[in-house]
Amino acid sequence: MMATLEWMTLVVCCVALFLRVPDAVRGRNRTVFGILFLGSLCSVLAVSELYEVIDGALGGWDLTSLILRYLVFATVLLVGLRVTSGLAAARAHQLISGGIGRWALGLGCLAVTVAFFLTGSSWPPAGPPAQGAGGAGDADLSPWFTAAGRTYPAFVSLVLAAPLLAAVRSRLPRLVRAGALLVLLGAVCAALSLPAALTPPSWAGAQHFVNYAAALGYVVGLVVFWFSGLIASPSGNARARLRRNRN
Amino acid sequence: MPLPAKAFQHWLHVVAPSASTADICRLSGIKRTTLAQQLVRGKVAESTLVSISRALKRSPLADLAAFESYADLAGRPQPPTPAELVSQIATMDLLRAVISRSAPAYGGYGDDGSALTPALGAAPHATSVRNWVDAIDDGELRHRVSDATGVAPQNYSAQLTANRLSPELAVATARAAGVGFTGGLVATGLLTEAEAGWPPEAKQAALDALSDGELTVLAGERLQALGKTLRRQEHEQEQTKKIWENLG
Repeated sequence: MMATLEWMTLVVCCVALFLRVPDAVRGRNRTVFGILFLGSLCSVLAVSELYEVIDGALGGWDLTSLILRYLVFATVLLVGLRVTSGLAAARAHQLISGGIGRWALGLGCLAVTVAFFLTGSSWPPAGPPAQGAGGAGDADLSPWFTAAGRTYPAFVSLVLAAPLLAAVRSRLPRLVRAGALLVLLGAVCAALSLPAALTPPSWAGAQHFVNYAAALGYVVGLVVFWFSGLIASPSGNARARLRRNRN
Repeated sequence: MPLPAKAFQHWLHVVAPSASTADICRLSGIKRTTLAQQLVRGKVAESTLVSISRALKRSPLADLAAFESYADLAGRPQPPTPAELVSQIATMDLLRAVISRSAPAYGGYGDDGSALTPALGAAPHATSVRNWVDAIDDGELRHRVSDATGVAPQNYSAQLTANRLSPELAVATARAAGVGFTGGLVATGLLTEAEAGWPPEAKQAALDALSDGELTVLAGERLQALGKTLRRQEHEQEQTKKIWENLG
């Protein structure tokens, strides 16, 4: 089931990325393309088989898992900035882009780096634990590395939750609200994945589920936003409504 | 609640004994699948009955009254009140009446009005349902309807905002307000004014009976409500545009 989730996330990310290629070429909303590009890169690294290959190329000491965390942080930062400005949530935008957000990002990076080297130094020479799996050999420390990697995403997701919920409950077009709902589900899962990282290994299934559901929610939500804009007809504006009012 | 399929089929058999379902659908312009689905579910929409009744050149009001849940419609219908009649005049027609009563310098014809003023549009109009309920509401009407039917007030309000009201709720609203039962059916567009037995000049007469002050206040309220709706739509459009600019 884990392999299915990994590959499915990768496929969804890549499909979303390819859908955005024409817009990116035309120079429209390249940031969203960047988000999806980083997201796809993260999901490539999240597939165990591909991870082994790439990590082998990078020296085989699991540096890739640290890079993956930084990539996730960058993706989440961009998503947070874009979603808050899209939803006109000035306070949430300020929280992410302002001092608090920078501190959160800095602390997140620091935590993940410290956890990485603490975990790495305790790895047996035979081989470090498989990434994301919660640690095969060192059950004591590697969950902390995983948890550290989820702090900043959880922070951004919590900030996003309120404006997303408001958008879901608004009277905006249905597809826009559906997109907001999907991103909201992703955000909730991302926030939950932080405590989930510290649950006992017997909960591995649930841990993976929230983790990948978070990624899928964000990516599919972005695709739905894009699609809702694509099919929206330019008509139906207020002036037409006034003209129609006699009906 | 829509009409029970069994009673509907009985009625259909009485009014058109020789017609097949296909004939009925062709005559009334109802899709065969729609009718079949309603019959299978056991609930036939009131609008289906009205369409068939119209196609057979019968009185939809009398036919509706033949069903148990609409038995109140039978007999001589209580005529609509002047307020109900005015509520079924479109906002733009009210504004036109204001201008029409104004001095010639402003494009009007003075106090006498003129044959040149265009005729009022037929009900229902864009906000006819809410305007009808507002016209008969004594302040407690929504609560009484909610108590009588078990429909939550917010669901009721949502229907009004969407300019919709199920025929059952329309009748329940009229009953709770103590007015004639045809008002709601006209406001929701189920029946035309003529089918409801409203005299053709009734709306114009009710409008003419309004004093300048009443007419102006009413038109002003309508205009304000319309402005609110438009402003909200513009705001939502702005929000949507912003989402698409950033995420689309």
